[in-house]
Amino acid sequence: MTALSVKQINKYFYKPVDFHVLKDISFEVEKGEFVAIMGKSGSGKSTLLYLLSTMDTDYEGSICMNGSTITGLKPDQLARYRNEHIGFVFQFHYLLPEFTVLDNVMLPALKLKKKSKEEIEHEAIRLLNLLDIKDQAPKVASKISGGQQQRVALARALINSPDIVMGDEPTGNLDSQNSQIVFDILRELARDEGQTIIAVTHDDEFAAKCDRIIELEDGELVS
Amino acid sequence: MNVNQKIATTLLTYRLRQLLVAVLSVTFGISMYVAMNSFMAGVNNIQTEITFTSMPHIKIYNELSAEITPILSGPEDPGAILMVNNQRNIRYTEGIKNADAIKKELSQMTPVVGVAAQVNQNVFIRNGVSKASATLSGIETLNENQVFNSSEYMVEGDLYELDRRSNGIILGTGLAQNIGVGMGATVYVSNSEGMSKAFKVIGLIETGANAADRSRALVSIQTARQFFSKNRSYATDIMVSVRDYAKAASIAGDISGLTNYKVEAWQEGNSQLDAANLLRDILAISVSLTIMVVAGFGIYNIMNMTVNEKIREIAILKAMGFNGGDVIEIFLTQSVVIGFIGGLIGLVFGNIIIRIIDNIPFNIATLSTLPVDYRTSDYLLAFCFGMIITFLAGYLPARKASRIDPVEILRG
Ligand SMILES: Nc1ncnc2c1ncn2[C@@H]1O[C@H](COP(=O)(O)OP(=O)(O)OP(=O)(O)O)[C@@H](O)[C@H]1O
Ligand SMILES: [Mg+2]
Repeated sequence: MTALSVKQINKYFYKPVDFHVLKDISFEVEKGEFVAIMGKSGSGKSTLLYLLSTMDTDYEGSICMNGSTITGLKPDQLARYRNEHIGFVFQFHYLLPEFTVLDNVMLPALKLKKKSKEEIEHEAIRLLNLLDIKDQAPKVASKISGGQQQRVALARALINSPDIVMGDEPTGNLDSQNSQIVFDILRELARDEGQTIIAVTHDDEFAAKCDRIIELEDGELVS
Repeated sequence: MNVNQKIATTLLTYRLRQLLVAVLSVTFGISMYVAMNSFMAGVNNIQTEITFTSMPHIKIYNELSAEITPILSGPEDPGAILMVNNQRNIRYTEGIKNADAIKKELSQMTPVVGVAAQVNQNVFIRNGVSKASATLSGIETLNENQVFNSSEYMVEGDLYELDRRSNGIILGTGLAQNIGVGMGATVYVSNSEGMSKAFKVIGLIETGANAADRSRALVSIQTARQFFSKNRSYATDIMVSVRDYAKAASIAGDISGLTNYKVEAWQEGNSQLDAANLLRDILAISVSLTIMVVAGFGIYNIMNMTVNEKIREIAILKAMGFNGGDVIEIFLTQSVVIGFIGGLIGLVFGNIIIRIIDNIPFNIATLSTLPVDYRTSDYLLAFCFGMIITFLAGYLPARKASRIDPVEILRG
């Protein structure tokens, strides 16, 4: 089954100068597949991921997820779709600094309102435990290390059991051991839960273990 | 508490100092509104009170009609010329003849709370060589007190002493000073017919209405009737007080159906008092509303700053799936909470301020402290205005926040 299908995507930046970032990009990703996106810095990986995450709607072409076209949906519909179906880890961690680690993880689920608060809290603790940062749960998010923040962001992305998890260098700040833990978790999710994983990475070792590598060069797909 | 409210409270309490400043600006606006309006209401009350110590809400008297009824009808022969020299309007009856009957009817009307008959006449009062013209009022002490609250304004002596001493007289403080007499002195009162009678000063009255205090002398109504040689139910004026003085004009209209005498409400010829009250109210409301609008700008400013400061957080929330409506709710909740807390504290502060004003010494006229009025409506209005203004001031930044495009921010 196709989880994600991208057709003929073109993306331009107009400021500061006209710039064709993504050129005629088309590819498909199967459900449960673990895909790595690679490419040189500035090749357009983050830009592509913002399109896939439904946040950036300013592009040509179309994106389908799980059989439904998301291109052209209204902002509120997209917000709802993101909340329920997409988990996202940004290149820079982007937690809410005023909230505790636990609250940060719980917020998307509290918004979705599919489970009770107790269930959500239980699930959040489970994820934090899995990522080895359970002891950080009561701390304010601005008071933990960069690597810890990155793992909290991953826990937050996973809280609603999304169909697709997207990560922009999700292991960029981690030592090899924690990097391995994160990889194993994502690997397991893809295999056991059928969740689709798309991760941008510069780490060849990480990429080598993925099901498939999509490579970008100057905004064009090369493999 | 839903998730948006939870986020709002967390954001709100994270910066306590900013929260405090925002709350204080609302507090300031609301307390000033309450204080200004309570003070102005107090001033208005005292003004009316002083006015009505010597002026009744409604006065009934015998008016010399202005139009002259021709003595002879026009000549039958169109060629003849009718000429009447020195034509005059002569008043045959003076005063009110059936005063008791009118009084009785008036006191049965529901809006009427007090009816007092008076015999008023211009006189001269002498003390040795110093003399002054004055209005001698023969009063029914009990009724008089009901209409004018006179006993409260007695500086010395007792109003009811007039009933017990037929040669007793009460003078306005200004008048007593004018002719240089004090309590216990004997003064001579002479009327227009040249009759003169000795009275003993048994009291001094000061109402705060200067003109009245300088010209008024009170005796009992029987004494006045005797002095002017009039019969037992004679009166020149009937003074009426009603429950709501603002309605005096319409009640006067009802009364004039009962009698042929002139019925005059206080508004007639005294519209400046009405106007002054209204102007003071307008002034108080516009000044206090201005203060509130300024406070509203304060909140607007603070919320705007908060939105700018939290722009990344807003982008993250949107990336996680919160929509524009959620963001508006999050920020509007914050300003409404600020308005609510600031408003409540403002009401308490406003009350404290007017209590303080109430105790500031102010020894002019009959006042001893600055006048204030404690009205619930002021508090309710202040709170409502405060909430409306914080709502508006919070809505604009919230809407701005809801329109933030998350990619723009997160792309860095
Ligand atoms: N907001 C923007 N306006 C204009 N150009 C942009 C903007 N964001 C990115 N670019 C340009 O688009 C190209 C792709 O940027 P992108 O962030 O997608 O690169 P990337 O592959 O993620 O690089 P890295 O590995 O360093 O994160 C770059 O040349 C960059 O300069
Ligand atoms: Mg990037």
